[in-house]
Amino acid sequence: MFAFLEAHPPAIVLFMLMAAFIMPAIAHFRRSLCAPFSCGFMAVGLAGSLYLASLAAEGRVIRYAAGGWPPPWGIEVVINPFSAFILVVITFICLLILFYSTASLQTEVAENAIGWYYTIFLLLVASMMGMAMTQDIFNMYVFIEVTGISACALVLAKNTRLATEAAFKYLLLATVGSGFVLFGIALLYLITGNLNITFVAEEFRLVYKNYPFLIWTVLSFFLVGFGIKSALFPLHLWLPDAHSSAPTASSAILSGLVVKAYIVALIKFYFLIFGFELLDAIYIRHLMLIMASSAMVFGSLFAFAQLDIKRRLAYSSVAQVGYVFLGIGLGSATGLAAGILHIFNHAVMKACLFMAAGAIYYQTGNKQVNKLQGLGYEMPITIGAFSVAALSMVGLPLFSGFISKWYLAQGSIEAGMPLFVGLLILSGLLNASYFLPIIWQAFFDVDQHKPKTFTLDLIPVPMAATLIILALTVVYFGLRPEFPLSLAQQAAKIFLP
Amino acid sequence: MDVIPKVIHNYPYFVSVVLFCIGIYTTLSQTSLMKKIIGINIIGNSIFLLFISSANIRGGMAPIAPQHGTLPPGAFYVNPLPAALVLTGIVVGLSVTAFALSIVVRMYEYYGTIESNEILEIRSWE
Repeated sequence: MFAFLEAHPPAIVLFMLMAAFIMPAIAHFRRSLCAPFSCGFMAVGLAGSLYLASLAAEGRVIRYAAGGWPPPWGIEVVINPFSAFILVVITFICLLILFYSTASLQTEVAENAIGWYYTIFLLLVASMMGMAMTQDIFNMYVFIEVTGISACALVLAKNTRLATEAAFKYLLLATVGSGFVLFGIALLYLITGNLNITFVAEEFRLVYKNYPFLIWTVLSFFLVGFGIKSALFPLHLWLPDAHSSAPTASSAILSGLVVKAYIVALIKFYFLIFGFELLDAIYIRHLMLIMASSAMVFGSLFAFAQLDIKRRLAYSSVAQVGYVFLGIGLGSATGLAAGILHIFNHAVMKACLFMAAGAIYYQTGNKQVNKLQGLGYEMPITIGAFSVAALSMVGLPLFSGFISKWYLAQGSIEAGMPLFVGLLILSGLLNASYFLPIIWQAFFDVDQHKPKTFTLDLIPVPMAATLIILALTVVYFGLRPEFPLSLAQQAAKIFLP
Repeated sequence: MDVIPKVIHNYPYFVSVVLFCIGIYTTLSQTSLMKKIIGINIIGNSIFLLFISSANIRGGMAPIAPQHGTLPPGAFYVNPLPAALVLTGIVVGLSVTAFALSIVVRMYEYYGTIESNEILEIRSWE
């Protein structure tokens, strides 16, 4: 099976797509089988991605021409350290989210919709994986649209007033965003006459001096389009509603992975086609840095003002997207590697936080951040996992969030912009200002008369197991970051030779 | 002043840019959800127009291989690739529209209106 995968890497995307459309049939047969089956399919996907990643870590690059048509005509799929890294991140996080959803979904989604929910979930996973692998700009657009529609459908699955409205807003803005992206792709095709990224880049080097204004248009359209879709700071308006009103499993995948998938596409476009020198020369990179740093500050400030746990986490995602964009904008190899690494670290942390919030709601029915007094004694597993992820968010050593912040700081010094080190510290303090009160309340703001004894959480086993695994992942990759870090560094080398 | 003949010669590009702006404006400024969806469609169609007009050559033939022998001398094909891309784009646009319309139906069930300012008002009472 692995030899087949090595010869035909897109088979992994095809497998997830087929798995997606088998789900309604399984639901028709027996509804309770949907969740275990989707977990099984996802585990196969994870095994395949890990195998591809192990190949990529050895330095092998697989180039596959779909349908036997060689690159300038056909669609090319490339497995290099970057795409393999993203594949592993997507499948790993999604496997855990699916495992969590086996217990949480029936409380949040109508019973007859569960089969379709898994269809949409797996469709979203398949399209994100395709986005990471493809080397064709129009193919990328198709995957972007599939991701957009299925992400909206995941928000809509909750079928409440708020979720419906948030989904409509999300769909509208996402479509405007993909309109900008498609316009940029059309202009690129007009200029270069190619659709394969490698060939577009070659042609682009020869002709770009003839079209100074068009280049500006293309680059800023990509920034606006992908910025809307990945909620870069002033364009983040849809995110808090959509991510806070969705079911817990959807929130985790939307906040952890979907916004990042668009950044992956943006990195490919910007660095493989245009190159960093051009981004620097026409100030797109400076614009990106300004937006990223305002995201880091204002995202955290907005998060501080929220009382709903999920809304607070959603605004914190806005801030964390800023970190990734900061890594891209710095333009030093270390900074870019840190940005790519943060895609993984933030996905783990944010999935853990959202799922802990979901577990708190499951047991206590409470959504407010100021009503958690003494909850640490009632739900030690949940609050423990929440605390680990939150401390990692703040950037304390021993946790994985520290690693990406450390390398981001190193990268900004390497790029000759030490100002951003101060910004990173400020943003870390702001993170602390809205996460630490929750932890403090849960463990130390306790009624004096109540006995201080730990009782185990009353949540289903899959929920607790997922939270423990994610918290351990955060700690493990905080202590031993070698594997993801080496992949991220190799990936950064592709983009900044 | 050779700008004006150039503009006139390349008018489809300008039409597509104007349509794109109209589409963005409609989507973001109209209060009716239906009109917002129409705006989305205008955005999509303006880009399809850009694609198609980039492929067209005046006097070019349809890109179908001649049945007997080769092309007559002096004849040339228009570029077939953008047509294929636009076809894909139309399918994507159709599915987005269908999905958006289904959400609007549900919004109407919840609020009894599809004007976004009235929906905001209803929400502010709650």
